[in-house]
Amino acid sequence: MVSDVAPAVRVEGLTKRFGRRWALRGVDFQTPPSTVVALLGANGTGKTTLLRVLATLLRPTGGTAEVLGADVARSPDAIRRSTALMTPLGHAYDELTGVENLVFAARMCDRPAGRDGLLELLGAVGLEASADLPVRSYSTGMRKRLELARIRLIAPRVVLLDEPFTSLDGAGVELVQDEIGRWRSEGATVLIASHLVSEATRHADRTVRLREGKIVEEARP
Amino acid sequence: MSDLLRRASAILRKDLLTELRTRQGISAMLSFAALVLFLFSFAIGPNTALLGQLAGGLIWVAIIFTGTLSLSRAFQTEELAGGIRLLRAYPGDPRAILLGKLAGNLVLLSILEILLFPAAGILFQVDFLPHLGPLLLVAALGTFGFSIVGTFFSALTVHARARELLLPLLLFPALIPVVLGAVGATDEILKGDPLGRLAGWVQLLASYDVILFVVCLWIFPVILEE
Repeated sequence: MVSDVAPAVRVEGLTKRFGRRWALRGVDFQTPPSTVVALLGANGTGKTTLLRVLATLLRPTGGTAEVLGADVARSPDAIRRSTALMTPLGHAYDELTGVENLVFAARMCDRPAGRDGLLELLGAVGLEASADLPVRSYSTGMRKRLELARIRLIAPRVVLLDEPFTSLDGAGVELVQDEIGRWRSEGATVLIASHLVSEATRHADRTVRLREGKIVEEARP
Repeated sequence: MSDLLRRASAILRKDLLTELRTRQGISAMLSFAALVLFLFSFAIGPNTALLGQLAGGLIWVAIIFTGTLSLSRAFQTEELAGGIRLLRAYPGDPRAILLGKLAGNLVLLSILEILLFPAAGILFQVDFLPHLGPLLLVAALGTFGFSIVGTFFSALTVHARARELLLPLLLFPALIPVVLGAVGATDEILKGDPLGRLAGWVQLLASYDVILFVVCLWIFPVILEE
């Protein structure tokens, strides 16, 4: 069960090992609801692993990680009902159209799957003209826009964005920034993992810098 | 509709829509099945009596070889869409994934069998029509047993490096009771069940199906974990 009063994300002594390699080596941080946190660091510093642990896609090796008061290992389903993860390449099926991909996501999350509502979502991210085209014809930027529409549909309380600005043109970057601002104004917590510091910190209330699986700096931009 | 069935049906619809658009799975299966039947026919030669005697076994071997193609595709579409773990990231009971994929495999295999049995009948000169009812029952039980264990092992091996090799290595031993039951029952049906052994084979198939279904549903959430 998720909580309304708990920190949106709380991580204590979190470790994650892949074979012999430690991706996270004792990460501690917490953030209150309705905040934007930028996770910064070079490639391979543990940002993606941290997001995947919080999204319940990876089990921690040690320590604890909670999202809205629910433990990632003990209550993954409660977390899955309140979070959305945007991966660099998105989660879309090439042979389905944009709107069909949203219909699928709506059915999986028990959200309304009416065509008009879904077209409205696609319109909000600039994909109205491509709504009925197969996703295999989409560019990487269009796939990211489709991901934004999917997250709008899910309406999560915690949004986990993994490299959301890469492969986007200027308009695409502004769209992601607008969405981040909108999610926060609606009370959602947003964690952005990116190596693009200026973009990741534009809306950030806090920045957390990782190096070799550890937090080396926390700051308010 | 329960949450589990709603999500399973969403996965089924998505997979069937993908298959309708690409037709890759069904066309690969049909071509391979035709090839296997022709090879058996050529290997055994024009001895129609022998072909008739072996028909049950040959048909089930063709179904299992061909069905293995569809199994490996079932989770491949998920990998192309970012990985099965992203599908797992949706809330709800993960068994919906198994049920949705199982239903998709059943649909494809049923289409295959609707075409395979008449083709085998012509090639092996066996008349299946007088035995249609019992054959449908055995085909349904055999296909279900194959699909449940196949879908399960396909999910288990989806991240393995040598999954094309690993899937048959795990799958075929687990299928032995299904193959024995399906071939035995089909043979008995075609011979007119002179020794009254059909019921025993059907019982074996049905019991193994129930056991497989329960065990696979029970374990499936664990194999989706990292």
